Amino acid sequence: MTYVGQRIKRTEDPRLIKGLAHYVDDIRLPDTLHVAFVRSVYAHARIKSIDASEAQKSPGVVAVYTGKDVAKVGPVPCASALPDLKVPDYRVLAQDKVLFVGHPIAAVVATDAYAARDAIDLVAVDYDDLPAVVDVEAAAKGGTIIHDGFGDNIAYKLTAGEGDIDAALAASDHVIKQRMVHQRLAPIAMEPRGVLARYFPGEEELTVWSSTQIPHLLRTQLALMIGIPENKLRVITPEVGGGFGSKLNVYAEEGLLGWISMQLGKPAKWIETRRENIQSTIHGRGQVGYVEIGCKKDGTLTGLRYNVFADLGAYHQLLTPAIPTLTGLMLSGAYKIPAIQINVTACFTNKMATDAYRGAGRPEATYVVERALDLVAAKLGMDAAEVRRKNFPAADEFPFHTATGLDYDSGNYEAALDKAQGIIDYAKLRKEQQEGREAGRLIGIGVSTYVEICALGPSAAMPAGGWESATVRIEPTGKVTVLTGASPHGQGQETSFAQIAADELGVDLNDVTVVHGDTGIVQYGIGTFGSRATAVGGTAVLIAIQKLKEKANKIAAHILKADASNLAFEGGRYSLQAARAAAVMGESEPVIPVGEAPAGALPEPQTEGRSSLTIQEIALAAHLAKELPPDIEPGLSATYFFEPKNFTFPFGTHICVVEIERETGEIKFLRYVAVDDCGKVINPLLVDGQLHGGIVQALGQALYEEVVYDDQGQLVTGTLMDYAIPRATQIPWMELDRTETPSPVNPLGVKGVGEAGTIGATPAIVGAIVDALAPFGVTHLDMPVKSERVWNIINKGEN
Amino acid sequence: MNLEGSHTINAPRALVYASLIDPEVLQQCIPGCESLERTSPDTYAMTIRAGVGSIKGSFNGTVRMEDLREPEHYRLVIEGKGRTGFLKGSGDFDLIEEGETTVIKYSGEMQVGGMIASVGQRMVLSAARMMASQFFTALEKQTIERKR
Repeated sequence: MTYVGQRIKRTEDPRLIKGLAHYVDDIRLPDTLHVAFVRSVYAHARIKSIDASEAQKSPGVVAVYTGKDVAKVGPVPCASALPDLKVPDYRVLAQDKVLFVGHPIAAVVATDAYAARDAIDLVAVDYDDLPAVVDVEAAAKGGTIIHDGFGDNIAYKLTAGEGDIDAALAASDHVIKQRMVHQRLAPIAMEPRGVLARYFPGEEELTVWSSTQIPHLLRTQLALMIGIPENKLRVITPEVGGGFGSKLNVYAEEGLLGWISMQLGKPAKWIETRRENIQSTIHGRGQVGYVEIGCKKDGTLTGLRYNVFADLGAYHQLLTPAIPTLTGLMLSGAYKIPAIQINVTACFTNKMATDAYRGAGRPEATYVVERALDLVAAKLGMDAAEVRRKNFPAADEFPFHTATGLDYDSGNYEAALDKAQGIIDYAKLRKEQQEGREAGRLIGIGVSTYVEICALGPSAAMPAGGWESATVRIEPTGKVTVLTGASPHGQGQETSFAQIAADELGVDLNDVTVVHGDTGIVQYGIGTFGSRATAVGGTAVLIAIQKLKEKANKIAAHILKADASNLAFEGGRYSLQAARAAAVMGESEPVIPVGEAPAGALPEPQTEGRSSLTIQEIALAAHLAKELPPDIEPGLSATYFFEPKNFTFPFGTHICVVEIERETGEIKFLRYVAVDDCGKVINPLLVDGQLHGGIVQALGQALYEEVVYDDQGQLVTGTLMDYAIPRATQIPWMELDRTETPSPVNPLGVKGVGEAGTIGATPAIVGAIVDALAPFGVTHLDMPVKSERVWNIINKGEN
Repeated sequence: MNLEGSHTINAPRALVYASLIDPEVLQQCIPGCESLERTSPDTYAMTIRAGVGSIKGSFNGTVRMEDLREPEHYRLVIEGKGRTGFLKGSGDFDLIEEGETTVIKYSGEMQVGGMIASVGQRMVLSAARMMASQFFTALEKQTIERKR
């Protein structure tokens, strides 16, 4: 059977459901020491003194380290390179100043986690507090300077885009302006971060277990931070309970734990608490921008300018400065816009760093463009869907060049819009909305026709390589091992990559094991992020298998005493063309199942008089190496590093229908239809799962979630009591469908789907609410759109 | 965050003022105050047990009296820190004579940090209001006892 395209249940799930999986905290090593961190309670302060003497005397405490002890560890790396980028020196523990609430100041090491936690309260830190820089627009203007020596709080300024934007806007019939806020979000992976480090002083080898998306990049960066040779350092990523970009990073704690284990010669462990997770794991979004969009009277778009202030936080994490640049790239959305300009002012603030969170700069762009299209529709009295349709590039215009400098690989935007409108019966829906309005009901319809950038990406566009690696080997017993560099954290690659491999090798799915997340076992890889794993990592698996089969073909030809070109591969076996014809006639040849060999004896493949061999038999022959062609080395494995030539550009249409309760301001979902096109689909079940999760996280941003710092820089939303993530009862039924436009960028034709939901859904949801409130003169609302705000609009005329 | 209000005490202004700047009275009136010791003419070292909800703890800090204009005005500046975070605040007290009674008008601002801010910020203001109310009730009692 073919596995690709089937709704196959995740092979990962049984161990997860039964609680048998191993996360970092499940790994227990004897004599492990536990680490807890003293973190700043001030957003901005000078450290006058630190007195750890009491903590050191506390029962179970082994050591307390402060900034001066670790001045030579680090810095916490930033991989983004931008012209004139200011990069502050980010030490693993605060030196003389703290710059955000949660900034680590001291590490307490104790014999158990409770002793460590108790002792952090005994570390007396004397602060001299300084004014906090909280508002990003104020930060851009000056005032208090966060990093002494930089002169201002601007990390970089960037202008990008093609076309004469001033002329384009001047020649427009209408130019519509709107301020838009993309509030800070906390990624809230179900498993917080966790690190376990074990140093063997004799072997001089350090092993670091970390809940990360990028084991190999982490190993390279940790080697540089700690000063240990990279080939003496092994990073193991066990089960990862979600990342959403927050674990696409290298954190101070990871470097510190490795260093602490080396200092003390014992394993050291730190498991992040939820409060630490909200304080000192990266945040997402954090932009305040001003969009100007120009159009003709008939709705044709003429130009778009976006002036944005990006709230970077106090320091750069791995990709912090790069995120707003992704926003700039995607400002053309799914539309023909002749002139586009982005002006980024990226600022330091006294907050945790922002970085990649599911979508990473693209949800911001999509939100800006889609909301701007709604504003155009409202201005011209056009239908939201029609103004979009009018500006789509046609299916035969691909590859489509945008004024942001990208070449969209393939697309058929109208087909996805048509399908979504068909499912929801759009014309009837608009009529019902009108009738409802006349009866006093507040029904709103939001349309989002998004496009996103995936499969990151060509190496030229990436800070640390845009390729991905795979090794595929067939063991002597015929079992297939796939080693992927794209270390997953919930995406189901053990299943989807096995589907690709099983099909290409013609073996049973259960004969394939996908191995990942251990730099001691897996060849160097990049990781899972930017919806890249299948498009780049899956392709690497496919091509590695094709390489492996070239060798298998030669071995088969040698054994079958035939010319390699006379063999055909089908159903997992190489057959002589003549024999294959016979097989078609119903005379199949017996296969000796390799697994049924007598115990202890390696089954010799029976090769005499055969006209075909299974690839698993060939694997055995390749390992026994008694009957190989002279120029062929023993064993059967192949490695491939796939470098894509371009990004991929998935797209789709989301239509959201809401009704608002006048009395409470409550927003109720009536329908949610999503038609997504992520190219060829390996496993529809996984694609649906990605969309469900993505749409829910988008809904969280649209309605509930917001990281709030008060005007002193105190983190007010410090727990899940105050930081509102959606619950099951707040999530609508999602009607999912697809169109399938293969990508020409990779041989699988896949595009990527991990972030589509968070990118496509927020503008559909906010658009629906704004549409419902149109009778009150509402044309835009900032997120999160809380019931209170809606109620005030309806009942107090506040707009 | 800001805290404002007024409280009427059934005692003459001079007596109320005397109570308000008397460390012994203050120690008995400030909810959770465990010690209050003078360290300079207008400055006191204070240990106070306070908290919001389940986040309770001891704060060590200073209380300073400023801008003393007997018997109508003074300003209280408080700084404290403890395991659950820090608090900083200042308040202006204006005493207005109304016949035999005295109206204390207060207005102040407060800042909290640390665990109290991240866990309990939503409840800090109502907790502060409650503490203010407890303070004035106790102050009234102490002052009236003195009057006798």
